Amino acid sequence: MDETVAEYIRRTVLKMPRNEIKMMLQKWGFLSEAQLQTLNFHQIKDNISQDVVQLCEVNSADIKQAAVLDIIYNHIYQHKRMWSVYQMKKPGEELEYFDITDFKKKFKGRLRSALKNVTITFKEYEDNEIWIRVAWGTPYKKPNQYKPSYVVYHSQTPYVFISASVLKSNLPLLCQALIVASNYHDIREMELRSHSLNSLQDIVFKRYSQNFQTYSPKPPQGRNAEAESADLRIVQENKSEKERIHRLNWEVFGDGPQPKLEFAQYMLETMFKRDPKMDVLDKKEPFRCLVKFSSPHLLESLKSLAPAGMADAPLSPLLTCIPQKARNYFKIREKKGFFPGSFVSP
Amino acid sequence: DFRAFPGVLAHLEMLEARARREAVQQEEKEKWEEKLAFLKARAQELRLLRDELRDKVEQQEKVQLGKEGILSDPSPRAVLEWKIRSLQNLLQVFHLTGISGKLSNRSACFSIHTAYEGFSLDSFHLELLLRPGLRIQRHSIPAFIPLEQISRKLLHSDLRSFLDLLSRHLNAFVGRRHQLELLQEHFSDWIQGTPQRNSLCNLLSFQYHIPGKSRSFPFQARLLYGDPCRSLPTEVTVSCSPDAPAPLAEAASAHSELLRNTALHRAFHSLKSME
Repeated sequence: MDETVAEYIRRTVLKMPRNEIKMMLQKWGFLSEAQLQTLNFHQIKDNISQDVVQLCEVNSADIKQAAVLDIIYNHIYQHKRMWSVYQMKKPGEELEYFDITDFKKKFKGRLRSALKNVTITFKEYEDNEIWIRVAWGTPYKKPNQYKPSYVVYHSQTPYVFISASVLKSNLPLLCQALIVASNYHDIREMELRSHSLNSLQDIVFKRYSQNFQTYSPKPPQGRNAEAESADLRIVQENKSEKERIHRLNWEVFGDGPQPKLEFAQYMLETMFKRDPKMDVLDKKEPFRCLVKFSSPHLLESLKSLAPAGMADAPLSPLLTCIPQKARNYFKIREKKGFFPGSFVSP
Repeated sequence: DFRAFPGVLAHLEMLEARARREAVQQEEKEKWEEKLAFLKARAQELRLLRDELRDKVEQQEKVQLGKEGILSDPSPRAVLEWKIRSLQNLLQVFHLTGISGKLSNRSACFSIHTAYEGFSLDSFHLELLLRPGLRIQRHSIPAFIPLEQISRKLLHSDLRSFLDLLSRHLNAFVGRRHQLELLQEHFSDWIQGTPQRNSLCNLLSFQYHIPGKSRSFPFQARLLYGDPCRSLPTEVTVSCSPDAPAPLAEAASAHSELLRNTALHRAFHSLKSME
């Protein structure tokens, strides 16, 4: 077994939390159950990883199998990476029969024809989710296994989720290979990024809870009388206001959990509105300013702003349109007349 | 020759500047055209409104003139009640077809409830904005259904056909998926591993056997669903390895015929009952 492969497997195992190593090795399926039984998972991780490498030596692991183990780790710890969303376009109207073998062949072919030294690994998960791992080399160097790019694709959808490696120069090549393999013509990056891959998928695949007004043949239930407070001495002074806020909030955010985003960024290029007597700026140029909202769970915190009394309801559409517009990076320019043009205006 | 280079560079610079200029001009032209289209749509809408109002005024005048001719005017209240009843019945009928809608003054919300063989399955929703022109505000249609394609063709010309076509796409998809789920649930021991499918469930591929007859999985099935609005395949190939015995090959072609004409899980039920 290659030295570099051994080292790579050792380092991959070291990344895993000790109590999860067995589970990940089982998912990997490269070591037999009997072999896994021989491992002592209670020793220090250094020793565990050495033992694993020795077993892999016995089974003659190569870089392909090592790459699969890496995908398994990254699939479980996907939140450690930053994911961007790309949208593909095609003008054609032909029906798609996505064939995974065909896709893999075209993808590998396109990449390899441009760059000989690449390691390409695929793994299919449920729900038609395909993970692709690409380790990049140069015409003269073998691929760097420690800085791979990951791509997640659902067949027959125009969206691709990419966690690029630090070597961004390979991104155009990766995008090229994706559109060739999936029969699209064009690809562009969307203004949507997050650590939570699932939430990004929820947003673009419209899996998050949107409350649509639906027709129901039964007459609507009479409004449930507010459970009479057990204590009649407590009076809600702002009851109607509270209900108004609650209703507006429900209309915007719905009932279910919100997709998990960590930030929303607004690049403002608007004119500084000032008292004409106070000439703060000589030039009539737009005032450039960047506003960034960060939170462990941005949308849930926005949802709780109005009920907590920290903001007026309804919230600004610039904040609430995030899942619907599928973006968390905005550029705001001056409104020119009533025609929206190419920039965002609520 | 150094004297040649400045000329080339200057020429390249000029070409670059020209390209940039033309790109800017193109962009401005496109913006202008968009603005023009928007204003035209607005003008059209205002014209429609004016015509509506004109008609209303004419009606009013006619009613004033023709009052003596009408035999017995149904009271306005009775007319209203009749209108409400017939609308409710209409809505009820539509609800049974699986497409229901709710209208507000700004938008119309449509729900498509899918079903397969009497089983009620997923519901999908669409919210359409009515002004200034019909367009989709938001929806919960999966990304692999060609919504954009369908709306480009039909949304502005024929709303009913649009909803009908979309409903057929969704029902067929849900039907295909349901067949596959039933197959995996009831015939997991017939199939090797998990069938290979794609998001739309319009290409299926798996290996199977008849339990008890052999250990291996001699039959390789490939089902292609060419019509997105149907839940039956258009092309079925069931093959065996070339050195398989003749009865096996015959069975394969019989299976192929069966799978082309019957729903997936039902076909396997038939195979099971034939044993």
